[in-house]
Amino acid sequence: MNIDLLLPAIFFGLSVSGILFLVSLGISIGFGLMRIINMEQMVYYTFGAYMAYTMVSTTGSFLLGIIAGILVAAFLGFLVETQLLRRVYGKELMFTMVVTFSVFLIGIGIIQYTWGLDPKPVSSPIHTMVPILGVQMPLYRLFIIAIAFVVYVLIQIMLNKTIIGKAIRAGIENPDQVQGLGINIRRIFTQTFVVASGLAGLGGCLNAPLTMTGPYMGFDMLLFAFITVILGGLGSIKGTLVSALIMGQVISVGGTIWSPLAFVAPFIVMFCVILWRPTGLFGVTGKAFGFQE
Amino acid sequence: MGRVFRASYAPLVLVFFFLMARYIFPNKMTFIIELAIFSIYVMGNNILYGYLGMVSFGQPFYLGVGAYATAIYLAHLGANPLIGMLCSLTAGLVVGLILGPAFIRLRGDYFALINAATCAIGMFTIEKLLLPITRGDDGLWYRSRMSQIPFLDIRMPDNFFIFALVIFLIVLILYNYMDKSTLGVSFRAIKVNESKMKFLGYDTFKIRWIGFSLASILSALAGSLYAINFGFVNPSLAEPHRAAEVLVATLIGGAGTVFGPFFGTLAFLGIKDLVSRYIAHWELAVGILTLLVLFRFSKGIWGNTEALINEKFGKKWFI
Repeated sequence: MNIDLLLPAIFFGLSVSGILFLVSLGISIGFGLMRIINMEQMVYYTFGAYMAYTMVSTTGSFLLGIIAGILVAAFLGFLVETQLLRRVYGKELMFTMVVTFSVFLIGIGIIQYTWGLDPKPVSSPIHTMVPILGVQMPLYRLFIIAIAFVVYVLIQIMLNKTIIGKAIRAGIENPDQVQGLGINIRRIFTQTFVVASGLAGLGGCLNAPLTMTGPYMGFDMLLFAFITVILGGLGSIKGTLVSALIMGQVISVGGTIWSPLAFVAPFIVMFCVILWRPTGLFGVTGKAFGFQE
Repeated sequence: MGRVFRASYAPLVLVFFFLMARYIFPNKMTFIIELAIFSIYVMGNNILYGYLGMVSFGQPFYLGVGAYATAIYLAHLGANPLIGMLCSLTAGLVVGLILGPAFIRLRGDYFALINAATCAIGMFTIEKLLLPITRGDDGLWYRSRMSQIPFLDIRMPDNFFIFALVIFLIVLILYNYMDKSTLGVSFRAIKVNESKMKFLGYDTFKIRWIGFSLASILSALAGSLYAINFGFVNPSLAEPHRAAEVLVATLIGGAGTVFGPFFGTLAFLGIKDLVSRYIAHWELAVGILTLLVLFRFSKGIWGNTEALINEKFGKKWFI
């Protein structure tokens, strides 16, 4: 392997990490707070990407696409949470998995119905190249890294400084006691879910110029997002960030060494992690999380 | 063994239905053959999901193992399709026995995802690492190499239909027998309460292992039938994306019932066929149907019909 390719690969990996972090946050929080496995997060991701496509092709403004993507994704998340997922809380994990999976299928169907089966290309909004350490890097990728970092900082501030953030953290520890304190946990569920799906939509918008926007783009991302969440430990936000950083490098550097590795290396990582350390890097052990098996 | 034959009138009714369908819709032959094969595949998944309560997102892998075992045998080694099927069954059994102990001790969601990972890694191995043997994306072609088997030349679609039907009947009778046997009851008991089963002295690990291996063998058998039917195999048969199909068919038909897989397959393939003729996208219809089944008719098509028939005509109609 050429050493000149290593540095760009690491930077590309960081931008992949940014997308993975935004997309898998919802799955991680959904498991930690609501005890559901929400596979339909990827619907919001796909919708975000398609909104970016629609806005770029009609108005030509990528910023408008990002705003529309976040709003549409958050609205869809609100709709799904209030209409459907409320009936699922407290049921067994397998049931939530199958229900959210069929929501995912419906989402794919709606996307196919609205935008058709052909992949849609979205042109990159920023074409500038920036030299970093002697390497030419597209500014757009740095932009993604910056956004993901800002989102992480904002979420940390929200979780640690605001009342609602503290209620969310307490809810991850023990939802019943939070409700006992007089906090409306259902409303917190909805608010968290809307934020998480909005972030998934943002991830979709940002990823649209990097990949082909197609109805099945959620499927690949679903598996990658789950690998990220499992590696970091279900329910841990810091774990999600660290594992997103690792997974980005695995995908990018692995793909530089031998291109098919970009697809299969994450699965090998997941295989090993599940078999040897199912709780992940920062996973929570305890009865509440069902890890006692 | 007597119970096997006493229990077999209902499978015979289904086979009669197949023959009827064959002569009423002679130009729908491909659909009917696929119905028989896919039913076997769904039966395998039904053991996992319906009986044991384990969701797997990697069933295409076991299908692919079966298909490629037959294909590699027919393309490189021999010419007899029956020996190819035997290779598939062996491959399915070996894969089930090797992967089983590692996978079945995992919690439900991890089980589902590690199967998805296995599917991705396994198909990658077949497509890229075994490129000289499997010819990757181009697929293996061996239709002209297949030899005649005694009594029946299964290279003809008409004859292959009879062959697939016979296999389907045998599988269904054995499946019905398994459902009524101690094994089937233990499967369901594990789904309801595993710790009680352990307390009663059953080795639940071994029972799950048997279930996992059975599922993998049935998937491999279906894969082998696909391989013989098409005369060629390429990796698109076992893409990780297709894991949804078998799961949805199991759910719609009625998880944990004997004839549910058949009706689920009929509904799923029928919807796919009809819907894609009109609006070209089956995911929307299938997703809505699945949600409806999950929330309103949790026993699926066959589970609810069976309950209705039992209520109308007295108990225990389908033993």
